[in-house]
Amino acid sequence: MLARRGAAWIKRRQGTDSLPVTVHARRLYILPTRTGVGFGALLLFMLLAGLNYSNSLALFLTFLLAGFAIVGMHLTHRNLLGLRITMTNSVDGFARETGRVILTVANDADATRFAIRASADVEDCHVTSATIELPARGQRRLELEVPLAARGRVAIARIRVATQHPFGFFEAWTWLHLPLALLAYPIARGPRAPPAGSHGTAYLPALQHAGDDEWSHLRSFRDGDSPRQVAWRAYASTGQLLVKEYESPRGEFRVFDFDELRGLDLESRLQQLSAWVVAAHARGERYGLRLTNKFLEPADGLPHRNRCLAELAVVGLNGPMPS
Amino acid sequence: MNGRSSHLHLSPEQTAATASVVVLTLGVLLHAGSLPIWTIVAVLGCALWRILAVLNIVPLPGTRRTIRIAFMFATALALLAVLASFRTLNGLAAGTALLGMMGALKLLETRTPRDERVVIGVGLFLLLAACLADQSLTRVPFYLLYAWISCAAFALITERSNAVTPRIALRMAGRALLAAVPVAIVFFLFFPRVAGQFWALPTGGTASTGLADEMTPGSIDRLIEFYEPAFRVRFESRAPSPAERYWRGPVLTNFDGYTWRRAPYAQFREPERVMLGAPVRQRITLEPHHRRWWFALDTAARSPRQNVFLTPDHQLVSLEPVDEAVSYSVESHLATRAAMALSANARRTLTALPGNRNPRSRVFARELRASVTNERAFADAMLAHFSTQGFQYSLEPPRTSLDSVDDFLFDSKLGFCGHFASAFATVMRAGGVPARVVTGYLGGEWNPIGNYLIVRQSDAHAWTEVWFEDVGWTRIDPTGVVEPERLNRGVIDLLPDAVSGPTRFMHRSPWMTGVLMSWDNVNHWWRESVLEFDLPEQLKLLQKLGLDDAGWRGLGLLLAGGFIAWLLWIAFSLRHLMIRTRPDRLARQWLAFCGAAARVISPRTPDETATQFAQRIATARPDLAAAALDIAARYSNLRYGRPPGDKARDQSSREQLDRAVRDFRDHSSASVR
Repeated sequence: MLARRGAAWIKRRQGTDSLPVTVHARRLYILPTRTGVGFGALLLFMLLAGLNYSNSLALFLTFLLAGFAIVGMHLTHRNLLGLRITMTNSVDGFARETGRVILTVANDADATRFAIRASADVEDCHVTSATIELPARGQRRLELEVPLAARGRVAIARIRVATQHPFGFFEAWTWLHLPLALLAYPIARGPRAPPAGSHGTAYLPALQHAGDDEWSHLRSFRDGDSPRQVAWRAYASTGQLLVKEYESPRGEFRVFDFDELRGLDLESRLQQLSAWVVAAHARGERYGLRLTNKFLEPADGLPHRNRCLAELAVVGLNGPMPS
Repeated sequence: MNGRSSHLHLSPEQTAATASVVVLTLGVLLHAGSLPIWTIVAVLGCALWRILAVLNIVPLPGTRRTIRIAFMFATALALLAVLASFRTLNGLAAGTALLGMMGALKLLETRTPRDERVVIGVGLFLLLAACLADQSLTRVPFYLLYAWISCAAFALITERSNAVTPRIALRMAGRALLAAVPVAIVFFLFFPRVAGQFWALPTGGTASTGLADEMTPGSIDRLIEFYEPAFRVRFESRAPSPAERYWRGPVLTNFDGYTWRRAPYAQFREPERVMLGAPVRQRITLEPHHRRWWFALDTAARSPRQNVFLTPDHQLVSLEPVDEAVSYSVESHLATRAAMALSANARRTLTALPGNRNPRSRVFARELRASVTNERAFADAMLAHFSTQGFQYSLEPPRTSLDSVDDFLFDSKLGFCGHFASAFATVMRAGGVPARVVTGYLGGEWNPIGNYLIVRQSDAHAWTEVWFEDVGWTRIDPTGVVEPERLNRGVIDLLPDAVSGPTRFMHRSPWMTGVLMSWDNVNHWWRESVLEFDLPEQLKLLQKLGLDDAGWRGLGLLLAGGFIAWLLWIAFSLRHLMIRTRPDRLARQWLAFCGAAARVISPRTPDETATQFAQRIATARPDLAAAALDIAARYSNLRYGRPPGDKARDQSSREQLDRAVRDFRDHSSASVR
């Protein structure tokens, strides 16, 4: 309750962010960690012991360590101050799998920034990125693996970028309120065979096309490409991640139609469509998608696949439910 | 720490775990001198196990229930072992041993960063215990080094990254500690030192060297071999001559024929004294000797502190044993006179001798007393007896029987100061003159570098006080009759065999003496000015700073002012050290180009690359095309070209870019005009 109010207050205070975000002092918060509180208690004990026994050396060390912790606090603050978040990417995924949110952070300072990590609360789940170093004047990516529970849109209300560098006594953090959402595609499953292709193209079983020689050209790897498309043999010889691009003869295509899938409930229909899209894409076929109020022209390639899956993910979320 | 990890290529996790092991081990080794061997062996064993586990050579004990029970058992065992070694758990040494053992056991179940931090916390507690146990100057570098390593361990545990090696962690922690030194000094000087103890932890159990509250023949002899200082004295007024430097300690009144002991105070009423002459002001820094005596030049006028009493027989006795070095100012008078007569009760006590001991001495004393007219002549006759009858000053007198005075006076005639004092006081008492033995120190070594006197254990001495009706207590030192040189020189000069070879060598070599004196001077400064810095000294410092009568408010002001100034300094210096958000040179050149170009076409949009922007310029202004494309190509090459490599080539390329941007600016502004 209190936490939610706090979050709302911070949101009101900062407003929605737009990229690039520079971490100014106004949006940078800092508090002692549990280690810091424990260290403070230790220092208090040392102070009392030093005063009690009039022990000058213990007192000096107490003051030295206290000063050390305060210097550490400044370093923690500085470690995040002036950081720039330049770019966000999101990689959608299937329901019950994970999607990814990728923040690109840039360091404009002439000193390395250490131990930076991002975290977010997505639905009931707290996700944390790996901890990274950001070299002087360099850029790095913070990747959040976001579990996608059910089909639909997963909004990421805010992302926390935090650091405990250098001694772990304090944590500095900033909240990013970026318009970020991930789509959870319907799970690709369904028993039905895909509809026959137009222009007389027969359905070809996937197995026949599993060989290496069916692709037409290679292109470099992009986020979201399936590992099955990667040309591993080429990777072994060149060291570059290349992806096989399939191409069907022009003119042959299928159309997957939502309305033709009778006798199933909404989610099962979407899952079946998803399965068809995935299978068709894996075979490098051209396909189109017809929804109640939308038609996606037949095409092929990864962008098309993702567009189709994205449409399936948001069916019924934006407008009226299709009947 | 550095070398090892760079050879072994430890992962960040391994480095963090190793750091906690190193901190705990070093923390226990800080106490190597005072902990029992078994503790150190047990801790080293646990540390070794942990290190082998870090290197994946042996596994750590798991978390199964049986093992957790085994841990509880081990903890209980450690507790019992400490209890058996120290007979208590309440005490600094016992507490330290227990803490070290618990930390070592904790090492075997550290799994998370939090556990590792707890171990570092234990290490800092060990450091605190070390400070409480020993504050000598020689240990300070070790304590500081230890604090540094502990702080670096916090960094290693927090960062857990390949980029933060132990060397870098040490550098980060070292810089932060150096930055903290000014504020530590400000707080050290101005944080009000509230006097008094909130709680007490027995620190005793340490063997002590120094004067006891009783004297047997030979008990003082044993002190002579100890060359270490008992206390140091700075004279704040005229220094007395060497022969007057009698440092008064325990006054021994009761004699059983063999042992002299201190008297209970209620035994008789001590006559009050009138102090004569100008007082001698001394600043004394007493080494810990774990007894309750404080020393001052004979005779102290009043007590220097509230918790120290000036007893009726004018010795300084504190409520607590001296377990830590203590400094105090005290005034003494070299001469006194009795203000009243000795009561009959006191006279009876002060002439009492056991009826069955030293019969020959008592007969001899009565005969001697009968042969002279007054008490003073009686004392002189006894001293003459010592000087004429072949008595010798020796460190190795033969052992005596229970009739110790008889053995000494009539058989061996060989004795140390204790023998002479004991025999003289016995004879005086047997002759009806009140007398007692005073123990303390005589003389001392002058440190010409620091202008103070070092009084060593080897300067321990015993003399007598005799009551004469006209003046009261009078100091008579029979040793001075037999060995007059003792009044001016230390025992070590008179009896070189008294001390060990190396000590003798150091004492004889002028060069070594110089070094020792300088070192002692530094140590004395440390004791007197740093360790003994307290509230009165703080107020004195305030006065020196010109804040008269400011008291607590002055301290508060200086503290707050110093703290704020330091915070500003830290914020300021970090701003410049850590993060410079100014664009680098290449970016400035590029921005200059973009600014110039924006005067001829619409400004670059954020999503436009350098080449795209240049191409847009080229399309809009063909006359600027070559220059714009050239600049964009150079910029892209310098910024993203790989490898950056050759510095000289880069440098010339930068200069060309500079020129190109300048030309472009001139050209474009000319064309605008």
